[in-house]
Amino acid sequence: MIIRGGIVYDPANGIYGDEMDLFIDKGRMVESAKGEEIDARGLLVMPGGVDAHSHIAGKKVNTGRIMRPDDARLGTQPRTAVCRPSTGYTVPNCYAMGYRYARMGYTTAFEAATPILEARHTHEELEEIPIIDKGALTLFGNNWQVMECVRDKDLSKLAAYVAWGLCSARGYGVKIVNPGGGEAWGFGTNVKGINDAVPNFDVTPAEIIRGLAEANEMLRLPHSIHLHFNNLGKPGNYTTAIETLDMLKDIKPSRMRQVVHVAHMQFSAYGGTSWRDFESKAPVIADYFNCHSHATMDMGQLLFGSATTMTADAPLEYGNARLTHNKWSNHDIELEESSGVVPMAYFRKMLVNAVQWAIGLELALLVKDPWKVLMTTDHPNGSPFVNYPEVITLLMSRPKREAEMATLHDQVPKRTTLGSIEREMDWTDIAIMTRAAPARILGLEDKGHLGPGADGDVSVYDLRPEEVDTSQDHVLVKKSLATAKYTIKGGVVVSKEGQILATPPGRTFWVDAAVPQLEADRLMVDLEEKFARYYSVQMANYAVQDAYLPHGKAILAGLPILSEVA
Amino acid sequence: MRNITITPKSAFPISVEAENISPDKLAPLTLSQIKSLIVWQGNRQRTLSALFVIEGDDAPAKAEELTIRLSGDFSQVKRIAEGMTAGVVLVEGSVGMHAGNNMKGGLLSIAGNADDWLAREMRGGKVVVMGNAGNYLGGGYRGEKCGMRGGEIEVRGSAGAYLGEHLCGGSIRILGDAGDFPGAANQGGTIFIGGSAYLPGAEMSKGTITVKGEAKVLPSFQRLEIVQVDGLAFQKYAGDLVDNGKGELLVGVGSS
Amino acid sequence: MSEAIMIRDAVCSFCGCLCDDINVEVEDGKVSRVRHACRLGSSKIMGHGRMQNPMIRKDGVLVAASFPEAYDRAAEILLAASKPLLYGWASTSCEAAKKGILLAEEVGGVLDSTATVCHGPSVIGIEEKGLPGATLGQVKNRADTIVFWGCNPAEAHPRHSLRYSSNSCGKFTPQGREGRKIIVVDVRETRTSKNADKFMRIVPGSDYEVISALRMLIAGKGEILPDEVGGVQKADLADIAATLKSARFGAIFFGLGITHSRGRYKNIDNALSLVAELNSHTKFVIMPMRGHYNVGGIGQVLAWSSGYPMSVDFTRGAPYFNPGETAACDLLAKRDVDAALIIAADAVSNFPHATAEGLASIPVIQIDPYENPTTILSDVVIPCAIAGVEVEGTAYRMDGLALRLRKLVDSSLPSDEEILAGILESVHKLRQRKANEGA
Repeated sequence: MIIRGGIVYDPANGIYGDEMDLFIDKGRMVESAKGEEIDARGLLVMPGGVDAHSHIAGKKVNTGRIMRPDDARLGTQPRTAVCRPSTGYTVPNCYAMGYRYARMGYTTAFEAATPILEARHTHEELEEIPIIDKGALTLFGNNWQVMECVRDKDLSKLAAYVAWGLCSARGYGVKIVNPGGGEAWGFGTNVKGINDAVPNFDVTPAEIIRGLAEANEMLRLPHSIHLHFNNLGKPGNYTTAIETLDMLKDIKPSRMRQVVHVAHMQFSAYGGTSWRDFESKAPVIADYFNCHSHATMDMGQLLFGSATTMTADAPLEYGNARLTHNKWSNHDIELEESSGVVPMAYFRKMLVNAVQWAIGLELALLVKDPWKVLMTTDHPNGSPFVNYPEVITLLMSRPKREAEMATLHDQVPKRTTLGSIEREMDWTDIAIMTRAAPARILGLEDKGHLGPGADGDVSVYDLRPEEVDTSQDHVLVKKSLATAKYTIKGGVVVSKEGQILATPPGRTFWVDAAVPQLEADRLMVDLEEKFARYYSVQMANYAVQDAYLPHGKAILAGLPILSEVA
Repeated sequence: MRNITITPKSAFPISVEAENISPDKLAPLTLSQIKSLIVWQGNRQRTLSALFVIEGDDAPAKAEELTIRLSGDFSQVKRIAEGMTAGVVLVEGSVGMHAGNNMKGGLLSIAGNADDWLAREMRGGKVVVMGNAGNYLGGGYRGEKCGMRGGEIEVRGSAGAYLGEHLCGGSIRILGDAGDFPGAANQGGTIFIGGSAYLPGAEMSKGTITVKGEAKVLPSFQRLEIVQVDGLAFQKYAGDLVDNGKGELLVGVGSS
Repeated sequence: MSEAIMIRDAVCSFCGCLCDDINVEVEDGKVSRVRHACRLGSSKIMGHGRMQNPMIRKDGVLVAASFPEAYDRAAEILLAASKPLLYGWASTSCEAAKKGILLAEEVGGVLDSTATVCHGPSVIGIEEKGLPGATLGQVKNRADTIVFWGCNPAEAHPRHSLRYSSNSCGKFTPQGREGRKIIVVDVRETRTSKNADKFMRIVPGSDYEVISALRMLIAGKGEILPDEVGGVQKADLADIAATLKSARFGAIFFGLGITHSRGRYKNIDNALSLVAELNSHTKFVIMPMRGHYNVGGIGQVLAWSSGYPMSVDFTRGAPYFNPGETAACDLLAKRDVDAALIIAADAVSNFPHATAEGLASIPVIQIDPYENPTTILSDVVIPCAIAGVEVEGTAYRMDGLALRLRKLVDSSLPSDEEILAGILESVHKLRQRKANEGA
């Protein structure tokens, strides 16, 4: 395939809007090739989008669907010769998930949080999502085995467990959500801060986070720990964010990347002491990110309208439900995690929501280096992913931001500095925040760029970057970004002007980390006891079997294999 | 004024979905165009004329000028008058499920009985049923907080279970008995039941339910005083207190 | 005589407990011994009378046919129908369910599961209020107070109390039964109630009011309650409410006694609200006691495929969900179905009479390992291999946990998945032929 004459943004390879031809052969980018020609002359071309934090598959997503037939009936589209039916807006069915990402020019999306025990379900759903490549992060922050290793300061056993857990779950990386709090929620309480001891376990969230960060680096995992802070969603929680990040700054990454990736930073950048004096602390957070290099973030942008909140931060969800008198699902997973699902809606005239909306944008605009900030909405918590073009145009256009701000609650300017920010992002910034940076942050070497050897995932938009004023013509920009002119996945045109042409299955990336046999054996003693006494399933039936990853791709990591120790 | 009469050509072994039979859809079309409108029968698409005889005035008009007369057995025809904003639909016999779904205005009059989900999610307009109505009269869609938000429904006979579930506005009047759980989860609106009711107003937070006949009242409703309405005595209750509801329930005193 | 093979930790494919600690001995390609399973599971795994050959009704009589003939005839029936119903699914694997959903989409039919006669009302309740739940291991490790409402696990889920609930021991529950309060709510005494610490007997059909009364008491608003609700004295209700409120971790398990008594989904709706409110005082979870081993699975698969967990109408190409209209019972009672495919469920035995009668006047395709009353009404009968005994596959436990069923012995019969794939192929073939003829 030849993609002719596009205006290419490939920041990972130092290409910032050069007119050039691109070549794909056997599913990969190459220096030169023949074949089908795509006319992209003068049009915006980027690598396929990479979504590093989204809730797309697994128990809590399906719970969202089951409890929301009111959502399923939105976005309903009948089957076609190529496509299965689509339903849902905030909780789309699996087919809609794949088609809608593809229509927007995205070719990779990662499920943000999977408990090991229920990973089989996640993989069943991932396999059902067409087109896009995927991966799933695995939850470790409330896990009994993890907490015991941390309590005993047994780092090598902890690393062995993380490797075993990733293998059992066929997971890609270490996800930590409200560490310690999920376990406390097992009896209906929560933790109040990173130094608050977890009931019954004699460890603190700070210790859990550090332990897992160290184990993560010991195993040389492609991604860093991916962290959802304690106290998320509470006024004044920005101090927890800074405190937590500071606690990790001395840890050395084992790869050329961050030590910690912060999930949906917006929800943890809050000032004030209550919802009454609630205000943005984005400038403080941004300042911290500007002065340190060990952390990255994704925005977690909130947009007005419907959402469905779903997170492993179960106590937060219970709080959400009580506050808004909404239906509430909860699911605690033995020995491992908790989770909750609550439908939500965000309103312009609700001061808190309006300030939350501003915070996400402030964070992205105030952090100078776009390689540190990913554009996300924590789908579907802040907004469904189909609304990414709205976020992008807000970042690129100050006039658009001003027009939006004029429709909000009138107290907003007092609670946020957004109105004073002049910065407008350009295509290089956007290409970094939606393609190059997520791939680098996740450690996906063949994604997010168009150099030789990269996966042949390319998006072409019906937009002339050399002619369009992204500040003034934001309506046109948003429309063009919503529907790619061409989305190419592995060298196949999967979507053209919004029509899905092909639905090849995507691959599921997971990490197979090696550890010394000695450590694995030591670990097994603990695990055998846990399965014998506490789990409600047998160890033999626990791990995800090969049958669930017919398109799996294992990435190797771990400690170098030494000669076996008898 | 434009008049159109539609008559089924035969009995329908499989139900027909005819959301196209609505004043807004038919008014701007000629008879010939109307005849080629699509209805669904299971997984088969059929033209209106394949299943129905369509007669009447040919000239296009506005919805508010149109009266559609449905003559014959429409009990297997669903979604009649769906979304109508104006005009009149007269059903001479009985009508199938979902008649008047999402109505916003106009009049839907049913001489016989109406099946389940009559006027689901109604917003405005008026529905009159001479016979009985089925379950979920003036109800909502599964999982939604609000069902009917406005308009008036009157049923001369009785109604099935779950009438006015999630009622947020408008009024429902049943002269006969209501089935189980009328007015569940109400957040507004008024319901009048001439006959009896079982556990009315479960989890209601606002609105008024009046039951002239006997009612089994939930233990979570607080008995207040006796009030007089149109010369009749009613026991007044506040509820549903399980959820600190501020609804009002009136139950007739002295059974018929 | 060859050596016996011992298979450990097999997953039982009978009820929603999905016990996965079953040890099975296989000799000469047959199951010879089953350990740890209850008598219900054992009986299934040991096996009993099976159908061996497909049959097609010709001139009123069922005669033997080949699998390809049966697939073709099934495809004919489904394609000729305006509104075919594809029903059952609860006793087969998720892999079969996926094919079934594809088939329902292709032929433009309605797909429903046995939830329609079981926990369908629970699903509707969840659509109102959500589901505050947990995995069974949480109950085992933490619950000191357990309520069984309208269910009788001693008979229907025999190993539930030992593995997951009343008699289980866990990290925070080392005393097992001794450290727990077990409450049973039912309309009559049962084997389960006989082993309870408290038995609250209620008047049939009064579940909703009793739950409302409990909610009032738990919220401290008991003064306005009458002296008796649902046949229970106020003092006894207050006692139960106090027990629930003082739990360290409470769990409510519920069954058909409450889903199918007067009020139906409103009962579950109210119970879900009760549990949500209890969570403001202490920790509480609730869980439906799913009957068939994979009714949970078809619900999950259907939800991620179509957006809805049951009663999905695909006739117009896009999924439409409206239980009360699109559920199997509704359609059959109104005779609004003109063909049926019944798989992994004995519809005729389990439906109410009026509903089962609806099957008598339409062509029926049965896919099942066993001959049963549905066979008598069928026009095409296709025997299948049994998931969990002869075929691998995925199933979802009553708490939503997915497990992989093992294959214990070989079978010459095709799996449900293979049969459905065969019917799909015949559907494509027939469509192609019609298109060529029409051209």
